[in-house]
Amino acid sequence: MSISTTKTDATTPRRFEHKFKSAQPGPIHMQAEEKVNFDDVSKTYPSAGSAAGSTLAIKSLNIAIKKAEVVSILGPTGCGKSTAMNMIAGFEFPSSGRVLLDGKSILSPGPDRAVVFQQASLFPWLTVLENVVFGVKCRGISPDIYLKSAEILLNAVKLKGFERHYPYQLSGGMQQRVQIARALISEPEVLLMDEPFGALDSQTRLMMQELVLELWVQYQPTIIFITHDVAEAIFVSDRILLMSSRPGKVKLAVSVDEVKPRGQEFLASAKFVDLQASLLTALRQEVH
Amino acid sequence: MNRIPPVLISWATILAIFIVWFIVTNVGLVSPTYLPSPQALFSAFANLVVNGYQRTPLWEHIGISLFRALLGFVLGVAVGIPTGLLTGYNRVADAAISPIMAFIRPIPPIAFIPMVVLYFGLGEVGKVVLIFITAFNYAHVNAYAGAAHVPIAYIRAAKTLGLSEGQIFRKVVLPAALPHIFTGLKVAMALSWAVVVAAELVGAQKGLGFMISDAAQVFQIPNVFIGIALIGSIGLALNFLLSFAESKIVHWKGR
Repeated sequence: MSISTTKTDATTPRRFEHKFKSAQPGPIHMQAEEKVNFDDVSKTYPSAGSAAGSTLAIKSLNIAIKKAEVVSILGPTGCGKSTAMNMIAGFEFPSSGRVLLDGKSILSPGPDRAVVFQQASLFPWLTVLENVVFGVKCRGISPDIYLKSAEILLNAVKLKGFERHYPYQLSGGMQQRVQIARALISEPEVLLMDEPFGALDSQTRLMMQELVLELWVQYQPTIIFITHDVAEAIFVSDRILLMSSRPGKVKLAVSVDEVKPRGQEFLASAKFVDLQASLLTALRQEVH
Repeated sequence: MNRIPPVLISWATILAIFIVWFIVTNVGLVSPTYLPSPQALFSAFANLVVNGYQRTPLWEHIGISLFRALLGFVLGVAVGIPTGLLTGYNRVADAAISPIMAFIRPIPPIAFIPMVVLYFGLGEVGKVVLIFITAFNYAHVNAYAGAAHVPIAYIRAAKTLGLSEGQIFRKVVLPAALPHIFTGLKVAMALSWAVVVAAELVGAQKGLGFMISDAAQVFQIPNVFIGIALIGSIGLALNFLLSFAESKIVHWKGR
């Protein structure tokens, strides 16, 4: 197995980032495999303090993410990786260009794109079980269906027996597992993870990464994983997109050819170590 | 000193005050006209319990004050909480209503007494309206703060979970604002109770406020003190009830 890396910038041709100029009503077979596309996306924010100026957060971003692929967006703070995720989630919108889901522009958030947030976003007034089923219950799905799914999912995230606990009674890692169960219960096609394990200790973090891969094997969602941790990106991803610092664009795309799920031994493999070295070198150039 | 339970310290302070009070009134340091002795107050209280005040039983004075305060409070918060949440969450409602509220809020409720008497007379309606305004004000401003400070992650999570706008308002904004709402309820309750006493100073025939102002005019100082002590105790009890409800309902607060 070889490590394939492809440099991408404005001048060299992209191998992975498929330009999506003829999105609709183009031929279906071309994009059948593609789930999420960034089509020449830029995002500017009004600068704080000055009325006239504005900050370019993302510049001409082109990304194509395949169905059931696990893609990490890796980059330093302020590279626009969270902005990119927010645009897929439908929390924010491009200043120019389009963000597409199944070839259609994303107009609002929805249960087809579940999000696991970095910060505490479980509802503290609801128990673990109530949090997990909150969305499906509000959408009017029958309890017969969602209670069964909740049981299976809580088992899968190893929280059996904690159904009646409140979030504040759980550790940080357990809370993130509840978030994952809450995200997966609606069987989303896309799972967005925004630095989900950033606040956890390294041992818990590794267990969570293994859990994500186990769940991927079961549910096969497209996963877009935002992180600034190189090892985490390599461990969970099929492909890593390294973003440059502001204005954010894809500086380097790296494939990780290793079957999922992966175990701890992968961390010690030559492949992992080589990838880590090359990514760290590339990332270091972006941290000022 | 740090190992003494706080409850014990609190009781010791109260006991110390009683002892000082007992001594200064019984050795003649303070005239009973200005500060009655504890035993004089106790016998006056026993007399009030048995004979009532101005041909009205004591419990009726307490009851009518409580009725006015609680009715105004319930109506005020019933309107204040929903409007507060709505203006805190929706920018159109915010722009429409908040400037008016910002103008009304700093006006002390007792400043409305003359207009309330003019519009509603000296009967029950005027007093309840006055307490309604008070309770509405504080319930509204705190519910507003609660709705305006719902963490963005809650709203975003609710949207990705597929909730409608109405569901987000009822099932996320409302519970997320509960800690603020309870703060508002406690302030509104304390002020409703304070305002009912103030309202009864003007033109009431019954109630604790009437009792203390009437007793003061005929120089029944023990009855004035008993009225004040009852107002304090009942205020404390109402606050305790709300704090208890808060600890049960907003169980996640501060955790």
